[in-house]
Amino acid sequence: MLSALHPLPKLAVCLAWIVAAIAVFDPAFQLAIIGLAVFLLVAVERRSLLLVVGLMVPFALFGFGFLTTAVLFRQPDADALRVAGTAAVAAPALTAGLTLFFRAIACGMVSAVFVLTTDPGDLVKALMAQLRLPPRIGFALLSALALVPDLGREVQQIRMARALRRGRAPGRLMSPVELFAILIPLLAYAIRRAGRSALAMEARGLAPAAPRTILDAPVIRRRDGVFALGGSGLLVAIVLGTIDASG
Amino acid sequence: MTGVPQRRPAEVVSARWDGVQIRYPFAAAAAVGPVSLDLYRGERLLLLGPSGSGKSTLLQALTGVIPASIDATVSGGASVGGRPARSRPPWGWVGEVAQLFQDAEQTLCGFRVADEIAFSLENRGLPAETIRDRVARAMRRAGVPAAWARRRTATLSGGEKQIVAVAAVLAQDAPILVADEPTAHLAPAVAARLTDLLLDRSEDRTVLVVDHRLDGLIGAIDRVAVLGEAGRLIATGPPGPLFRAEGDRLEGQGIWTPLASRLDRALSAAGLAPEEPPLTVSGLVDHLAVMGPPRRRAAAWHLSRALAPPVSQPPLRPGEVCVRLDGVACAPPFGPVVLRDIDLAARRGEVLGLLGPNGVGKSTLGLCLAGLLRPKAGRRHGPVGAVAFQNPEHHFSQDSARAELTDHLRRAGSASIEAAVQALDRWGLAGAADQHPFTLSQGQKRRLALACLTVSDRWPLLVLDEPTAGLDARGAAAMACTVRRLAHAGRAVAIITHELDVALAVCDRVVILADGGVLAQGRPADLLVRADLLAQAGLAPPAAAPVLCWLQRQEAQRC
Repeated sequence: MLSALHPLPKLAVCLAWIVAAIAVFDPAFQLAIIGLAVFLLVAVERRSLLLVVGLMVPFALFGFGFLTTAVLFRQPDADALRVAGTAAVAAPALTAGLTLFFRAIACGMVSAVFVLTTDPGDLVKALMAQLRLPPRIGFALLSALALVPDLGREVQQIRMARALRRGRAPGRLMSPVELFAILIPLLAYAIRRAGRSALAMEARGLAPAAPRTILDAPVIRRRDGVFALGGSGLLVAIVLGTIDASG
Repeated sequence: MTGVPQRRPAEVVSARWDGVQIRYPFAAAAAVGPVSLDLYRGERLLLLGPSGSGKSTLLQALTGVIPASIDATVSGGASVGGRPARSRPPWGWVGEVAQLFQDAEQTLCGFRVADEIAFSLENRGLPAETIRDRVARAMRRAGVPAAWARRRTATLSGGEKQIVAVAAVLAQDAPILVADEPTAHLAPAVAARLTDLLLDRSEDRTVLVVDHRLDGLIGAIDRVAVLGEAGRLIATGPPGPLFRAEGDRLEGQGIWTPLASRLDRALSAAGLAPEEPPLTVSGLVDHLAVMGPPRRRAAAWHLSRALAPPVSQPPLRPGEVCVRLDGVACAPPFGPVVLRDIDLAARRGEVLGLLGPNGVGKSTLGLCLAGLLRPKAGRRHGPVGAVAFQNPEHHFSQDSARAELTDHLRRAGSASIEAAVQALDRWGLAGAADQHPFTLSQGQKRRLALACLTVSDRWPLLVLDEPTAGLDARGAAAMACTVRRLAHAGRAVAIITHELDVALAVCDRVVILADGGVLAQGRPADLLVRADLLAQAGLAPPAAAPVLCWLQRQEAQRC
């Protein structure tokens, strides 16, 4: 359902939710956003729960940094071990830490809702058609977005080439040493790929300023208006409810 | 089919290279030129030359991609329709020239299939309805399934990308089409169909094509221009007479000639050739059919000898099993399973051919066979082998061709500089020893990758993925010799190829893959003349098939 929506109203609504997640400092509010995002991805968009939980991991690690900082390093002149050892983790500090922790996940999950339900090609076409994004920037952006999944495939190819040189099969998991070793060839691939894409676009007539047709650019429909109003209205209701609950 | 052009092209010059000479930065010598060449309106011109002779460089100068986007010093001038190439930026020629680059990734921009095909038309600002019609027509003609329309090109196999790239240049509908190795990664049946499309006489189009798979396209070519090793024009003329008169000299420079021409020259030397030089093997067989018995016997003897080096290999007795796959299911990284229940053994001393249509999973099977990709089901037994990847650039990690070879030798426990020099020499790369691998031509890159993998006896199994793509005749001959040498030395070799003549010449056993599994396996001489089987697998008989069948009939009559 979300996949069928126009990318730009969806982007606007998602940005509004991210701004709210940053502005409203309440763990219940952050949890509500996370719950809603998981519901949309799993129940509405039929994404695997495992994938959604997996997507939370990097944001949770990021948020965990905020949590530990807020809880263990709240006193400027005390060391962290002593603060932890007192077991007197102050309730306000814990609440603040948890809010920061959930905020990181909430922002990440709203982004995930947008990314997983939006075709990069449609987004760039919409930006060019409706927001007059110059085609050269638009296609550069699209190439960059397209590069991300391709890097995964390239990593596999580089691992196989490295394994071949070393004379043994590639392992199931990549070690940190191996990860570091493939960064340079991966960067070289990305640069080469960008150069080839630029050549291809030029040879096929992409001009800096000439007028061009945008085929099948997304069109804003009634359902996009309904989604924008519904999404904004729900956000306002949750924000007001949170403010009301916190007194 | 004869050497006479099918249609005399109008004497109107569509494109011209006037004394063009191109030198890349820091290069000791010019990559190509000086070359003066005219492309006439409506003409089908084939540009031939050994790899590294500057064919692709010359094509890229036509619309000013060189030097505007690829830095080089260009002297002389190219022009399109009488207007100098430099009078517009490269993108300004999109209405006049459609370019299919050697590497499909250089033609495609990384979008979804339908967007790729529409891209140049959108850039020209054509009405949306016109673009939709042209995209649909190009997809239909090129055989791009409608289900691919929203697939990203990066998820396609090498051959599938090539098909989309051809559809994209066909949709562009420019009066001049320049195609650099348009069929290099395509299965024969698809290659033949796309070649027919690109050279279609009903289209009012001028075509310049660079290709080394000549047997399928030479009948539609009006004129051939040949670049020599030094990057200068050494011959030009209608294909039949040119190959009859110059064929031996061209082969001496490592330049491909059609099989029919090679056989024609063998018959010419014995005074048995037809008056008009044939361009297809079928045409030659037609000529043989009207000969009297004594001349037929003589012709059979000469043809057998002419075919002997590539086709009639004495079978080796395969040794013990080197690698075995038991009930294996194969899937590319991040992709679905493409082949199931594969039972396959690669034996020492045997050259195994893996054949099948584009996208069937040949490369994936090759990776599983070598142990570089884990099977999704079933078991693999045996040591890890090496794969010559379809994209040779994946092999390179050093800053010169010589360093690549010495690195491979060092890893194999040998630090012999001499062995590296000999390998460079054997693969015709002595002149490029100090060049960065990424600056080599496609054919040179492929030769360097093959040289690296075969320079030592480190791997008991070698899987070569499309080893002849982009190679000139000399490179292909070196590849065939090396493969036979490795097999004789007791190594197991598997070749993934779309070139059935290569499989016929080099392989001891072939496995034909189709519909997610093994369709047939056996001796190449038995399987590759079975048109029904090949058609079922989306393959086409090898160019040598008609003459092989004719020779078999002669043999049967004699018995």
